[in-house]
Amino acid sequence: MARKIRMQNSPQQHTNKPSDTPLLEARALCKTAPGPDGDLQLLDSIQFNVATGESVAITGPSGSGKSTLLGLLAGLDTPTEGEILLAGSAFSTLDEDARAARRGDICAFVFQAFHLVGDLTAVENVMLPLELRGIKNPQAEAEQWLERVGLSKRTHHFPGQLSGGEQQRVALARAFALKPQLLFADEPTGSLDHANGQHISDLLFELNREQGTALVLVTHDLSLAERCHRQCQLDAGRLHE
Amino acid sequence: MSEFSRLLFRPWRDSAFRVLALSLFVASVSLTAILLLRAELESRFEQRTAEMLGGDIELDSARPEDPAQAELLKQYDTSRNVRFRSVLVEGDEILLVGIKAVDDQWPLYGSAHIAASRFADTTLIEHGPQQGEVWVAEQVLDRLQVKVGDSITIGSLALPISAVIRQEPDQGAGFYSMTPRVLMHHADLPSTGILAQGSRANFEVSVRTDNIDGLKNALEETLRPDQEIDTVGERQSRSLGPMRQMTLWISLGVLLIALLCGAAIYLTTSLRVARKARLAALLRTFGAPRAKILRRLLGEELIAILPAVVSGVVLGILLLLFTREVLGWSEPLAAGVSQWMAVCIAPFALFSAFALPRLSSLVQIPAIRVLNRTAEGTLRRNGLELAAALVGPVLLAALLMGSAFELLTLLLLLGGLGAVLPLLLWPALRLLERAASKWTVSRRLAIRRLSRRPATTLPLLAALSLAMTILTLAGLTGTGLLADWRQKLPDNAPNHFVINLFDADRDVLAEWQSQHNAKPEPLYPIVRGRLTEINDEPVREAVTKENDQAARALNRDLALTESATIPVSNQLSAGVWHGTTPGEVSVEKELAEGLQLNLGDKLTFVTSRGELHTNVTSIRDVDWESFAPNFYFMFSPGDLANEDVTWLTSFWLPEGDGQRLAQLMQALPHITLFDVNAILDQAQQIVKQASQATAVLAGLLILASLLVLSAALLSTARQRQADQALLRVFGAQKSLLRSINRLEFLALGLCAAGVAVLMVLMALMPLAALLFDGQVPGLRWLLLPPCLGVVVAAIGLFTLHRQQATPSQLLQDN
Repeated sequence: MARKIRMQNSPQQHTNKPSDTPLLEARALCKTAPGPDGDLQLLDSIQFNVATGESVAITGPSGSGKSTLLGLLAGLDTPTEGEILLAGSAFSTLDEDARAARRGDICAFVFQAFHLVGDLTAVENVMLPLELRGIKNPQAEAEQWLERVGLSKRTHHFPGQLSGGEQQRVALARAFALKPQLLFADEPTGSLDHANGQHISDLLFELNREQGTALVLVTHDLSLAERCHRQCQLDAGRLHE
Repeated sequence: MSEFSRLLFRPWRDSAFRVLALSLFVASVSLTAILLLRAELESRFEQRTAEMLGGDIELDSARPEDPAQAELLKQYDTSRNVRFRSVLVEGDEILLVGIKAVDDQWPLYGSAHIAASRFADTTLIEHGPQQGEVWVAEQVLDRLQVKVGDSITIGSLALPISAVIRQEPDQGAGFYSMTPRVLMHHADLPSTGILAQGSRANFEVSVRTDNIDGLKNALEETLRPDQEIDTVGERQSRSLGPMRQMTLWISLGVLLIALLCGAAIYLTTSLRVARKARLAALLRTFGAPRAKILRRLLGEELIAILPAVVSGVVLGILLLLFTREVLGWSEPLAAGVSQWMAVCIAPFALFSAFALPRLSSLVQIPAIRVLNRTAEGTLRRNGLELAAALVGPVLLAALLMGSAFELLTLLLLLGGLGAVLPLLLWPALRLLERAASKWTVSRRLAIRRLSRRPATTLPLLAALSLAMTILTLAGLTGTGLLADWRQKLPDNAPNHFVINLFDADRDVLAEWQSQHNAKPEPLYPIVRGRLTEINDEPVREAVTKENDQAARALNRDLALTESATIPVSNQLSAGVWHGTTPGEVSVEKELAEGLQLNLGDKLTFVTSRGELHTNVTSIRDVDWESFAPNFYFMFSPGDLANEDVTWLTSFWLPEGDGQRLAQLMQALPHITLFDVNAILDQAQQIVKQASQATAVLAGLLILASLLVLSAALLSTARQRQADQALLRVFGAQKSLLRSINRLEFLALGLCAAGVAVLMVLMALMPLAALLFDGQVPGLRWLLLPPCLGVVVAAIGLFTLHRQQATPSQLLQDN
């Protein structure tokens, strides 16, 4: 059984050629928020799509709406106008629970602040989404992914006992363990020093290639953005490619 | 709004401050009440030790002292009193009372508290009733429906009531003092006809002297076996025991409450400090010196907690006043300046130990941190906090306890509870986590939340289970235990005991019993005697006094009896029952073990007629619960033929009016009649009051535990919200999150309830074996801990209800 799982989950080599079918599509996306002098236009008529296996970087200055856009694309929030389609089906119009279920099936996340659960060990953190998805023997799979990110000797360490780089590697293992079709990465190197940042971005793109995962990357780091197939610039709520 | 009221009320908008203030309030109530109660108890105890004894030294005998002793005592101020129990009869009402016949010298110390009528003010008076009059307690007036001026009949003498006795200086403790009191003059005693040769009474000679040791030594040389000497010093150390134990356990409960509140204060202060860190850094950038920042922030906090502390202290005082009212204490409040100071200091000591060190870390914040979001993270725990957390409990315990020895005992008990309960709970929690690995994901995650935060979970579990245990036991003992036990007594079990029957009375009693359908039990001859020698060796040397029962048996006259047949409620455990063979005795098993008596041992007793020799030929197991007369020593028939014998018996009397007993008492005024139901009613009332006090303590303990729970939830709210949001990001449904929360708090509440049920059962097992034929009594009360567990879960969920997070928060947190 263990052998079978290993076979199923071995990181596979993929060509990095994106498909033409949009995996994620945003149509005329607008987001407003109430402000002291009336509504603020955070995002304005955003058109955006990501194909299967494609990597797209979203860059922009602070306050330009990057995190807001990422939240909308991932279904963490709902747009004021427009709609989002995920894997060809309506996504943003679903209710919160339905969006969560769909997100859990297709997407994964990597955050700037890692967001590991402090009470759980590294392996338990990786197991968490697998357990939620009801995958059998999640521990074996989690350990395999930790080995893949070079943390086989740190499986039973708690996040507080790991360095920032190590924590982000656990977060990467957690994200890829789900074998997502689409990975959202929010400033994945933002909390790391240069060397660790470099290491994490190498690992991110390597796994992205191996798994054929589409990647939506929000970053300030232009060198990181340049490693993606496409770069989009968000400025004052408008997206430019 | 003035600046002061702004400082006073603004912090209440902060949920962390509300929990902090509530914690201080609960701690203030508990600490104030216990400090003042302790002062009351100590004052009442000290004031009354010498008064209770009646003198500096007391000679207590079963009959009047010998002429040689009277000669020896002549040179001292003495007071001679006789104490005995009797039944008063007025119309249909009968009442067992404790009667004291006092002479003109009584009392040597203190004053009697009397009143001219039932509701009149108390007057202090330094003599007893005059010849031809009697003073009675209020219960006597109420129960017998008489008033001051009416007459009551003691034995065959009618005496008018001239005053209400509220308190005697030498009231003493024990059964005699539990019964309603009657005081009469010593000179009236012979006319009552109550006391005759062999009657059960205490003849006391109280002596006022500075030469306690000299007189004691002189008296000891003349001491008869039925006599005892008691001195102020001995009485004080003996009587202090139960009071110390009581205050020790109450203090432990209060200290636990205070420390739980302390934990809640620490957790909530940490939150408040984190919120004030930016302000502190900002003030530093404006050039404020550290001392000024500390003064401002500490000052604000100290002003803000004042309403909580003041209202807590006031409620604590009201609680004490209520207790005094219930117990009928009418003296002025006993607390002196030092106790009132302790009342004022205690809440602030708690705050200082658990909040100030954390607050003081605000001054360590460098100004540069104002630019940095991580300023909150720089508030490291410091050595001062650890020292204060260790010193704080000791300081509070020292405030609560009177001596270094008691303080040490209290700290050891606290340490024991603090270490043992979590140590027992920790493996259980780990086992639960292991078991949960095969359960559904929601159960797994819920249990993991508990097991992975042992620093929060274990103290909470320990505190909650302890509080649930105490509350359950208090409820169980207070409302049902005695009643359940009484219900379990067999039908027609004897409900009246009669002692001090003489030979001639036996026929009168038998006739009366048959008239009123009373079910008689066997009559036993009683001879009062004291065991003096075992195998010709003085018993005080032959036996160590380590065994309580043995020590008690050696220090008093025992009721010796004889019988040819073994009572139904006794079973032979060793040897052969003597039957009619003379010169043999059967000994109760536990006493035989305590005195290390074996078959074949030769025993010597001293009675009013001289020495009595016998041999141990059998050992008996006695069912003390049978409500039949039971004896430590049962002699062969005829062995007590030459002694001063009175008779003892019991009988069951069907429900009916008191007129029947009144007839018996009129026919036999010298007998002593015990109404078992009346005694049990009184005991039930005392147990009920004690359990109500315990329930208040347990209620406060539960409240303190819930405060810690709320504080812990507040302090981990951020982390919890992040965890919840993360699960949402991973695709978890809302129902799953709700289910995890529900299961987490249910598991916490029900685990505590499970431990509480176990502890209650462990506490009840010995009682079940002793009194309930192995069946655990009051099983319905075991439902209380699970119900409380559900309440705990509901409160936890309610607190959490306002901490919902949205998944997009994870992005904004970056």
